[in-house]
Amino acid sequence: MKIHGRQGGFLNLPNDNIVKTIAVALLLCLVCSVIVSGAATLLKPKQVANKLLDKKANILTVSGIDLDGRSVEDAFQQIETRVINLQTGEYTDAVDAQSYDQRKASKDPAMTLPLSKQDNIAQIAGLPKFANVYLVKEAEQIQKIILPIEGYGLWGTLYGFLALEGDAETVSSITFYEHKETPGLGGEVENQKWQASWDGKQLYDDQGQPALGLVKGSVDPRAPNSQYKIDGLAGATLTSNGVTNMVQFWVGDKAFGPFLKRVRNGDVQAQREKIDEVHTAESV
Amino acid sequence: MASEARKALFEPLFSNNPIALQILGICSALAVTTQLSVALIMCLALTSVLAFSNLSISLIRNHVPSSIRIIVQMTIIASLVIVVDQILKAYAFDVSKKLAVFVGLIITNCIVMGRAEAFAMKNGPWLSFLDGIGNGLGYSVILIIVGAVRELFGSGSLLGYQLLAPVSEGGWYLPNGLMLLSPSAFIIIGLTIWVIRSTYPEQVEEADFELQNAHNAPAHGGAR
Amino acid sequence: MSFLRRTLDRIEPHVSEGGKYPKLYALYEAVDTIFYSPADVNSGRNHVRDGIDLKRVMIYVWLAAMPCVIIGCYNVGLQANSVMAATGIAEVGGWRGDILAFFGIGNDPASFFDNFWLGFWYWFPIYATVFIAGAFWEILFASVRGHEINEGFFVTSILLSLIVPATLPLWQAALGISFGIVIGKEVFGGTGKNFLNPALTGRAFLYFAYPAQISGDAVWVAVDGYTGATALSLAASGGVQALTDAGFTIQQSLTGAIAGSIGETSLIAIGIGAAFLLFTKIASWRIMFGVVVGVVVMSLLFNAIGSDTNPMFGLTPQWHLVIGGLAFGIVYMATDPVSAAMTDLGRFWYGVLIGVMTVLIRVVNPAFPEGIMLAILFANIFAPLIDWFVVQANMKRRAKRYAIS
Repeated sequence: MKIHGRQGGFLNLPNDNIVKTIAVALLLCLVCSVIVSGAATLLKPKQVANKLLDKKANILTVSGIDLDGRSVEDAFQQIETRVINLQTGEYTDAVDAQSYDQRKASKDPAMTLPLSKQDNIAQIAGLPKFANVYLVKEAEQIQKIILPIEGYGLWGTLYGFLALEGDAETVSSITFYEHKETPGLGGEVENQKWQASWDGKQLYDDQGQPALGLVKGSVDPRAPNSQYKIDGLAGATLTSNGVTNMVQFWVGDKAFGPFLKRVRNGDVQAQREKIDEVHTAESV
Repeated sequence: MASEARKALFEPLFSNNPIALQILGICSALAVTTQLSVALIMCLALTSVLAFSNLSISLIRNHVPSSIRIIVQMTIIASLVIVVDQILKAYAFDVSKKLAVFVGLIITNCIVMGRAEAFAMKNGPWLSFLDGIGNGLGYSVILIIVGAVRELFGSGSLLGYQLLAPVSEGGWYLPNGLMLLSPSAFIIIGLTIWVIRSTYPEQVEEADFELQNAHNAPAHGGAR
Repeated sequence: MSFLRRTLDRIEPHVSEGGKYPKLYALYEAVDTIFYSPADVNSGRNHVRDGIDLKRVMIYVWLAAMPCVIIGCYNVGLQANSVMAATGIAEVGGWRGDILAFFGIGNDPASFFDNFWLGFWYWFPIYATVFIAGAFWEILFASVRGHEINEGFFVTSILLSLIVPATLPLWQAALGISFGIVIGKEVFGGTGKNFLNPALTGRAFLYFAYPAQISGDAVWVAVDGYTGATALSLAASGGVQALTDAGFTIQQSLTGAIAGSIGETSLIAIGIGAAFLLFTKIASWRIMFGVVVGVVVMSLLFNAIGSDTNPMFGLTPQWHLVIGGLAFGIVYMATDPVSAAMTDLGRFWYGVLIGVMTVLIRVVNPAFPEGIMLAILFANIFAPLIDWFVVQANMKRRAKRYAIS
């Protein structure tokens, strides 16, 4: 912002001179815009990397993979990022798996599927056509499936990940990375003890319908059907209902249901091999 | 250090604190103080914006037409804020996620505009720079107090280190949920002002009206 | 002169200014005026038209709360004993069980005596805690500031002990009353200068600080691990249908045999207190009337609008009036003369505001099943503004009458 006195004549103009006013305004805008755009362009790559890293760290947490001193990037090598078509439950390469932004897509009318009010139990803004899934594999066998989930609680939308075992019907863990629930009540969705209680719960009942949900009070592990029940959050009925709806929606027919069914039937493995043949060069 | 410089730097700490005495910049003090680390980054961001906006505005103060004075100040402040925001997003991503819009809202922080208009437009660059740092530190003092109290009692930790073991993890401390809600910052700022004004009685405003004493003073009292 | 008088007189020089312990004067004065009338009484003509002073007002309110204490204790015991009888728990654990066993008191939900004493040992520790903590702050501030000790904390502490669940941890009770008295009252200059009701301020603090202990499902019945919904949370989930399905009747609310905060459940006990307060002219009937009007109008409005998703819309006025803490709030909290409006017309509108806000919070806000506490605190803040409008309107009317332009 330094204007040195070299142009002498101009600086000696009275401050309320119209020429000087316009000149000062233009000069200032020029200098400021250069600084702002310079900072934005120079730092952009780092910011994008940060955002991705944050997401990966969240996924690693829910997958239960121990960092063991590795960097997030290194540890994430174990996880395979895929995009599936929610309607068919098949892998798709219509969008790039690495850069696909599901949250953005669910707000884009061109990228979403119609969803009736009755079906939209999780009260989401829009159901995307394509959804991310993250797979942990060992010897080509799926060990864990991580699904991004979201749904309305009491004050706003909760965003999180649900991790399933390789059988696609047993829960391994759950995590929420963004929510607006009341601290101490609904905010207890962050409680790690409570999150740990999801381990080993079953998603579907004998008829194959989503059955897992939160109950009022605490669950007696000896009671029948306790494998479908999770302790409710004390004093937070609406958040508890929201979490139940959200889990049942995302594992249901409208969302990841078809995909999970294919995993259980072993169809996914076959398709994966087919895609791999096509994209041999592409490492995932 | 010249006495003027010292005054510019240290007076805003307690005796002329921007939050406690001038009651400026309260909004961000409510929003970013649930965790001390976040509050500290916010202090750093505000102090640097304040110092450099004061410096730049003071440098060009003699050539700013008074008709576009406020716009010029706003433009400079806004540019600085965007730069700081971008830097935070690149180098302190976790914190910037928690600060969310509040870094951007430094633009509307009354302290920055207030110091630019009240000080930097009338004083030299070096003194203005010091004034910016001083006011930034005055803001920081309050934010650190509020942030420390809220994090300690709201989550039982300080700067992320668990000091009071919370009940949910098998400890004894039941976190105070009010401390995680914004109104608690109002109460803590109020109590801080109480302490500061007890120490500096000259800051106490004159009463609008005097209450009439219904009873006699204790010295005279006593019942029969 | 009696022994007491002589003792007090002997102490006086030590605590007066120039004596050894001038800071303790406030304490001395408080004890003195409990037994004797103050020395500096009015001599000339003045505007005081009856002999009642602040101390008597406070004692009257305290007395008026007694029916709620008795029925409240009985009900806490009744709720606990009924659940224990139903779930097959034979006896109360812990020190309460020891005390009851020592006096040979059983756990029969049909016995008034058994229920009362079980409930008493839940209520009394809370009351003792808030009383001691309240007295501590009151005496501390009075001593430091050279004020008189005010009996306001008598009222604040008994009221706070009645508007919390029986299972409230005692340290939270102490914290609540401390916040209510210090932040709600003393920082503004003490009794008479507070613009918020201190007992409600304390409860609001607990409500937001430790929501699980004061609004959770597991807190209303004093049996470990038992989860019981309040009438309000039932209504929130299923409207009138859910209430009647669960066996709630309006008669139960009258006697108070429902789960809730200690003193808030029985309409009969609250009614006795209300009659006493109205008869002694301590409480304003205009405020009480205003709240009822506000509740009835607002709930009828919601009934008329209706809603497919929110069953609270269909809750009828009579249910609104009998469940939750509304009745207790109307009688003991809204009528607090310091934090309420001061003008007659203002009192009515102040009441209406409370009624409207209560129903609004109960029906529309998903997070707070009960709205009376927040509604009264909200109206407290607006009370001076309401008065201002009333006074302005009056000035305008009179200016018109005397044709002053």
